[in-house]
Amino acid sequence: MKLGFRSKIYLGFFSLLLIQGLVIFLWVSQVMKDSMLEEIKNRGVSIGVSLSARMVEPMLAMDFLRMKVLVDETVQLDNGIFYTFVLDEKGNPLIHTFKHGFPVELKTANTVQDGQKGSMQLLDTGDQLIFDYAVPVIINDNRLGTLRLGLFQTQAEKMVNKIMFTTIVTIIFAILMAGIVGTLLLKPVTKSIKKLHDSSEQALRGDLDVRTAPMLKKNCWDIMQCSQKECPAYENQCHRCWYMAGTLCTSCVEGEYAKRIDSCQQCQVYKQCSGDEIQSLAESFDAMTLSLKGNLSDLKTAESILNEQKALLQTILDAIPDFISLQDNEGCYVSVNRAFCEMLNKNKEEIIGKANGDLFSKTLAEMFNKEDKSILETRIPLVKENRVPGLKGLKWLHVVKIPVLETKNYVKGLVCSGRDITKLKAVQEQLTQSQKMESVGRLAAGVAHEINTPLGIILGYAQLLLEDVEKDGQMYEDVATIAKQTKLCSKIVVDLLNFSRSSQKNITKFNINEAIKEVLSMVEHTFSLNHVIVKHEYDKNPLLMQGDKEKLKQVFINLLNNAFDAIKENGSIFINSGFGKTQSEIKISISDTGCGISKDNIKKIFEPFYTTKGPDQGTGLGLSVTFGIIKEHNGTINVYSPPLSGKKEGNGTQFIVVLPTGLNMKKGELNG
Amino acid sequence: MKYGWVFLLCFLLFSGCGENESAIKVDLTEREQVILKEEHGVITYAYLPQYSHTISHFRHHSLIQYLRKETGLNIKQIFPDTFDEHMKMVGQEKIDISYSNPFIYIKIAHRYGAKAFARIVEMTGKDKFRGQIICRADNSSIKNIYDCRNKRWIAVDSTSAGGYLYPLGHFIDHGITKKDFKEIAFAPGPGGKQEKVVLSVYAGKYDIGTIREGTLDVVSDKININKIKVVSMSNPYPGWVYAARKNLDKKIVEKLNQAFRKLDFNNKEHREILEAASFIKVINSVDKDFDPVRQLAERVGMSLEE
Repeated sequence: MKLGFRSKIYLGFFSLLLIQGLVIFLWVSQVMKDSMLEEIKNRGVSIGVSLSARMVEPMLAMDFLRMKVLVDETVQLDNGIFYTFVLDEKGNPLIHTFKHGFPVELKTANTVQDGQKGSMQLLDTGDQLIFDYAVPVIINDNRLGTLRLGLFQTQAEKMVNKIMFTTIVTIIFAILMAGIVGTLLLKPVTKSIKKLHDSSEQALRGDLDVRTAPMLKKNCWDIMQCSQKECPAYENQCHRCWYMAGTLCTSCVEGEYAKRIDSCQQCQVYKQCSGDEIQSLAESFDAMTLSLKGNLSDLKTAESILNEQKALLQTILDAIPDFISLQDNEGCYVSVNRAFCEMLNKNKEEIIGKANGDLFSKTLAEMFNKEDKSILETRIPLVKENRVPGLKGLKWLHVVKIPVLETKNYVKGLVCSGRDITKLKAVQEQLTQSQKMESVGRLAAGVAHEINTPLGIILGYAQLLLEDVEKDGQMYEDVATIAKQTKLCSKIVVDLLNFSRSSQKNITKFNINEAIKEVLSMVEHTFSLNHVIVKHEYDKNPLLMQGDKEKLKQVFINLLNNAFDAIKENGSIFINSGFGKTQSEIKISISDTGCGISKDNIKKIFEPFYTTKGPDQGTGLGLSVTFGIIKEHNGTINVYSPPLSGKKEGNGTQFIVVLPTGLNMKKGELNG
Repeated sequence: MKYGWVFLLCFLLFSGCGENESAIKVDLTEREQVILKEEHGVITYAYLPQYSHTISHFRHHSLIQYLRKETGLNIKQIFPDTFDEHMKMVGQEKIDISYSNPFIYIKIAHRYGAKAFARIVEMTGKDKFRGQIICRADNSSIKNIYDCRNKRWIAVDSTSAGGYLYPLGHFIDHGITKKDFKEIAFAPGPGGKQEKVVLSVYAGKYDIGTIREGTLDVVSDKININKIKVVSMSNPYPGWVYAARKNLDKKIVEKLNQAFRKLDFNNKEHREILEAASFIKVINSVDKDFDPVRQLAERVGMSLEE
């Protein structure tokens, strides 16, 4: 069974008093006994010395009556004195207090030498013990005789025992009194401590509305004769005003307890209401719980705001397509966003607390660790482009690593931000390729322009020669070959000129269906020879637009020729025309049932000089020219293989050309 | 630590125990009656008890030792309590040698036939001494002896020479009788009477006091004697006297006289004896030397029989 605080105090208190009592009884009382015996002995000497001094005059006068009176008075003085007698200088008794003669043996039982103050000797009479004192009677350094005094030792012991008994009674009384007083004093203390304990447990359970301090008889509003009801201390009997902030008393210093307590201690209210340490403890506990309650409320509000901010920040971080990570100065990941998790294909819990070595391959981890170490040491940010393996092949990442400084000299960690620039890289490559092709085109256009005239002359002379030579001869075939190849060269030159857009523009308003019909009239016969049927579906309304009709006809010729080349024989070509999403654009679809285009090739079909045809069949400039013309008309061209309208597993290709009608444009406002 | 507490407890419990003292066995049953044995061949010597016995013993103890040694006589000092007892013991022959003032001497000579054989020379070097009339120095009403009329007078003793007889004769010589005083008192109790007169005047209990010459020096360690004024002094009369009782062997008297004559103040041992006794010399004397005192007593009307 555990003892309570009060029981411990009582037990300690009574144990202490008991030990103290024992010590007093067994040791101090022994000392007292010795002191008492010594005192009794000294008392014997004192009486002896005093009587000796008073005995001088009667002895000189040999006044036996006065001597007798003196010795008798001395014996009657105290029951403890057994006898008194006086011996002359020769040791013969002069006077004594014995009634039936003088005991002979007493004369020599105790002696005192000249120069000694006195002598004490314990005598045993058989019945009792006697302290016998011998004191010289001296006048002017001359010894007149000896005074002898006998004190009962038993009497002395009785006195000592009386003292011991008194001591025991006193001790018991002191213990009882101390117990009663201690109980009276301890009760309010233990009561207050228990109340404090109950209050602290109540506070621990979360109920901070505790009231430990006792109600006061006087309150601040009574003492100060205050009527400011809006003051937080007004009629607040649970808390002392000096513990409260925001009181309205004119003598109060603004602020919290720590700022105002020195001022409050000088106040009348404090002087009259402040209690002992226990009361102060209880009051300060109440004030502390009150303050704690307020602080907890503030803390909860702050926590709520913090959580909202944290969630908001995480949302923003997660919404950002760039991956972001925060590492501590040991290289461990502290925080990451969703893009980072997706990049590693891991969830956040699998990443937080891990290092590079746990997340990346050995080679990459070593590289990243080296970079991180350098940044942490030099505090210089790192900007670089990394090529890392991804789920869909190699990826290009643009990475920025910035050190996070906590103080001027201490680096807390580093923030890494990265962006997937694979597509950007591809576009950059395309742009580079386009610029390269543009340069090639310009070069080719220049060359074509220069060689166009000589080619015309070569072709003219070749045709003249064909007219002059016999058709069956070898020469005719050779010249015919020259003319044929010269025509091919001429065609290449025309294509190059078209590709470089150096040809003349002739903008007119026309019906696009008419242009398609004109193109079909030229190629339909040739296609039908190879059993390629052209089906068309025109919009009922005339599809009028502003543009270069001849160039657009070239577009349709190129697309139809490509379709024909893809079919080779026994196939169909579908032409569909109409308005686009709005009346301001025209949509033309040309699809075939040919061999289709592979995924690899479909990206390159608009590049100049790219062709899948034989050396004598295509220049690789048809679709490039087509793309250039459509772009010149601010239109778009998309290719789908297989066609969007067909079955996925089927072959064929579909080109969809969308052109703005341009009817609200002025003449000559086309792009380019 | 645990053993330390045990040791402390044992120390506290047993440290008070002590040894019992050893006792001597005595038999109180064997008893005797106390009977004083009279000592034979003792020459008793008594100093008139003007002071306490202790002072009397102090003053004359060394002198008696000297006389015992010089004379070979068994001289013993005895201490009568009063002047009357002293005189009676001379008459009863319990005092062989009396050392008294001249007034007592003329009384015991008259009453019991005592004979003067020596007298002392005072520390002042004179063989005579005077009585002094004193009052408080701040008592402005007493400027001379005539101002003592109707005053309260305290004297040493009715048998005192310097402290009563000589001043009384002096008053009478100036026309002042005992009736002229408002009150005449004597110092109470045995011994120390001269000092008591001075102290009574000093305390203001009496207006005037009469003392023998030299008393103020004796009390100088007790009071400020500057506060005491000597109003007047009597004529000088013979000093203290050694007298032998009636029928004392003349050889003894002679031995004593010889021994007294040998006392030399210049001798270191003798000087200590003489200083203790408050005189510097003892000279031969005869009864006739004290006739002026007898005449004075007669003149003031004091009977030697009283």
